[in-house]
Amino acid sequence: MTQVHSVILKIDGVTKLHGQFRALNSISLTINRGEIFGLLGPNGAGKSTLLSILAGSSKPCSGIATFDGTQIQPSNQTLRSRIGLVPQDFAFYEDLTAKENLLFFGQLFGLRGTFLTNKVNEILQIIGLDDGKAHQYSKHFSGGMKRRLNLGIALVHSPDVLMLDEPTVGVDPQSRNRIFEAIKTINALGTTVIYTTHYMEEAESLCNRIAILDHGEIIACDTLKNLLALTQTTVKFSIIEDDQSKEEILIRSIPALKPNILPGSYSLTTHTNPTPDIINLLVNEKIQIINLQMDSPNLEKVFLSLTGRHLRD
Amino acid sequence: MIQSFIIAKKELQLLIRDKLTATVLFALPFAMILILGLLLGEGFGQKSDDLMRISVLNLDKGLGLNNKSWAEHAIDDIVSTPNIKVEIIQGKELADELVKTGKRAAVIIFNPDFSERVNECSFLSKGVNPFHRDGIYLEKLQVSIIKDNKQPATSAIIESVCQIALLRIVMPWMIGKAFEKLGDPEFIELLGKEVSLPIPPSLRLLIPKDKIPLGELLELASGKDIDLAKNYREKVGVGIQTALTGQFKNYNLTGKSWASLTRSINNPETVKTLTTFQNEDGTGILKRGAIRYQILVPSFTVMFAFSLILISGWIFVAEKRQGTFNRLLSTPVRTSSILMGKFLPTIIISLLQIFFLLGLGKLLLGLKIGLSTWSLTDWMIALIILPFATSFCVAASSLFIGILSKNETQLALLSSVPVCLFALIGGCIFPWEMMPDNAKTLAFLTPQGWALDAFREIMPSSFDTTTDFQLIWKSSLVLSIMGFILLSITWVTLGKIRFGNS
Ligand SMILES: Nc1ncnc2c1ncn2[C@@H]1O[C@H](COP(=O)(O)OP(=O)(O)OP(=O)(O)O)[C@@H](O)[C@H]1O
Ligand SMILES: [Mg+2]
Repeated sequence: MTQVHSVILKIDGVTKLHGQFRALNSISLTINRGEIFGLLGPNGAGKSTLLSILAGSSKPCSGIATFDGTQIQPSNQTLRSRIGLVPQDFAFYEDLTAKENLLFFGQLFGLRGTFLTNKVNEILQIIGLDDGKAHQYSKHFSGGMKRRLNLGIALVHSPDVLMLDEPTVGVDPQSRNRIFEAIKTINALGTTVIYTTHYMEEAESLCNRIAILDHGEIIACDTLKNLLALTQTTVKFSIIEDDQSKEEILIRSIPALKPNILPGSYSLTTHTNPTPDIINLLVNEKIQIINLQMDSPNLEKVFLSLTGRHLRD
Repeated sequence: MIQSFIIAKKELQLLIRDKLTATVLFALPFAMILILGLLLGEGFGQKSDDLMRISVLNLDKGLGLNNKSWAEHAIDDIVSTPNIKVEIIQGKELADELVKTGKRAAVIIFNPDFSERVNECSFLSKGVNPFHRDGIYLEKLQVSIIKDNKQPATSAIIESVCQIALLRIVMPWMIGKAFEKLGDPEFIELLGKEVSLPIPPSLRLLIPKDKIPLGELLELASGKDIDLAKNYREKVGVGIQTALTGQFKNYNLTGKSWASLTRSINNPETVKTLTTFQNEDGTGILKRGAIRYQILVPSFTVMFAFSLILISGWIFVAEKRQGTFNRLLSTPVRTSSILMGKFLPTIIISLLQIFFLLGLGKLLLGLKIGLSTWSLTDWMIALIILPFATSFCVAASSLFIGILSKNETQLALLSSVPVCLFALIGGCIFPWEMMPDNAKTLAFLTPQGWALDAFREIMPSSFDTTTDFQLIWKSSLVLSIMGFILLSITWVTLGKIRFGNS
């Protein structure tokens, strides 16, 4: 029972055609209440298309998307106030100040009076535009500030699900951290977050679960740990090899260990990180180590192993 | 509905912040009216009659022939001249002003003693002889002409028209009077002294002279009877007159007016145009001559109202491309409210623009709006119903074009049809009067044509004394229907964009 309740968004066999072009091909996904769900994929994978269907601003050609059991459809007006979409492109009025933009969209969601002003002030604080910048025309904002305002507008009506479409494009690391902090704050308050990006580091550091999208198909969807397990970690190390017995000890303890051409150097490739085991063994057997280097797994490698291509070409 | 106002308020806020656009919306139309008004000059908007205008100031206090002042006779004479119209100026100050400002090349003034002087004109030595080699001494007749030195050619023509008219007045008058004198006993007495008749030999017994003066002869014939002598003298006079009349059959020498002297029949085709001076300056601060603005202001009001299609449409298309529109569509606001939010600002701006132009036109250019006979309802029809219907159509068109265009280029291309072509066909650029005959029929295919027809009705020219309110109603209705159709199409299209497959 609890399992059913924890699903907030569900898409089932969703296909979207742009003319002849299949932007999404029979996609199925579930997103749980309260999680930060990552949607990772290269340019043109179909991330924005999928978000627009989830946000109810476009219709799938086939398949169904539901929000809390209700079908998501553009005509379903009541769902609109439960969803907050941060579009990939800036979508605010440049000739209005940050505050005016937030007030305007808040009003369109039916917020009024002190409730609205309080809410707007709260958001200005969350997105770090609460000082004098709130009263500046947004056209004079830096790229990072614009990104944050773009995010803030989607928060003003306190949506249950916040969908972000590449919210960190063109921002410096400092601004990116602010955005991350804001997202974490919002999530901590109970908002489900769908985070779309083509930066695997972002997905890795922010998301509980990640779907990897490529050519309109989901090629993997799991927790970060499980995804990383799809690829292998290679550890390379060299020891001072003064007698043959040490190699025998190593091979006996770790059968998968492969000796390299250079004497005394070995490599090991496994699905889980073998480094602790190797170091333990070397310490116990009092084998002197010269160097150790680990080729750690990441989503980039997961993507590479799944598609044969790099995430960024 | 509240949502519409929220959106509309935001739109207006954005527009006001865009100072350039705001200036263009209000200042440009007025500047255009002003510039064109200055360029087009006085004659624009008046039906050209191709008549030479002679301005006359009549101060004549006396009386001449037929209990009419001689000045009136002179004016009659000028008016009857083909291709000439007479304009009566009211007062010396006005006449001076008109000439000083170059609005009239010359003004002919018949001074108070004019009739008296003409009456005194005579071939007799004691009378006034007004003639000199080239014509008439104006000063002797108390006629003056004030001239603008900068327009010598025109004032010379006016002066010669005046000279000829005076000749035609004074000559027959003097001849007629002189001819009457032929029957005068005084003249016969004079004649009797001057003319001596030879006495035939057979009669020399009775009168022992070679010659005898006519006077004496008549006295002799009357046998010293004074009454009889007088009677004879009169008979001689009449005889002379009759003889002369017989001799000059084609002339009525006693006629005293040019027409009867020359026995000429007035040409019935000569249209007599006698007008009084109309102040065409307008009452506005700039005194730029109101007549042309009675046509320019409605034309430009309509043209600029409809050119809002481009500006509003542009803002709409720009927003569609900016992503804010999608964001707007993703709010729970109803489609109709979003549409209204975009629709209301254009209506408001269009209304403001119309009132701005009419108000400034009235204030600065002395534009005439309405007639004194209008009731409150009439004013409401003219200043609320019509501007509103026009603005409604403008706003609907701008959204229609805006929703059809995918980008600014498409919009510019699409809107050039309603903004430029329709303005031309509708008569906003060249008045219908200047266009081919069936241009007005074509004009009614365009909203501008309907709007302009009605707007010209509420800004009457000086000749209009009634207002065709039925026409204003009809135009307002047509504009509203056009607007309604376009708005409906836009609404359906926006609904498809929002809820459809895209
Ligand atoms: N309106 C459209 N008409 C035609 N093709 C479209 C349209 N919108 C998207 N596409 C195509 O669908 C594919 C998926 O587009 P989408 O914008 O969803 O990708 P994305 O993953 O968001 O890419 P990016 O990281 O560049 O934003 C792309 O190949 C794109 O060219
Ligand atoms: Mg995208």
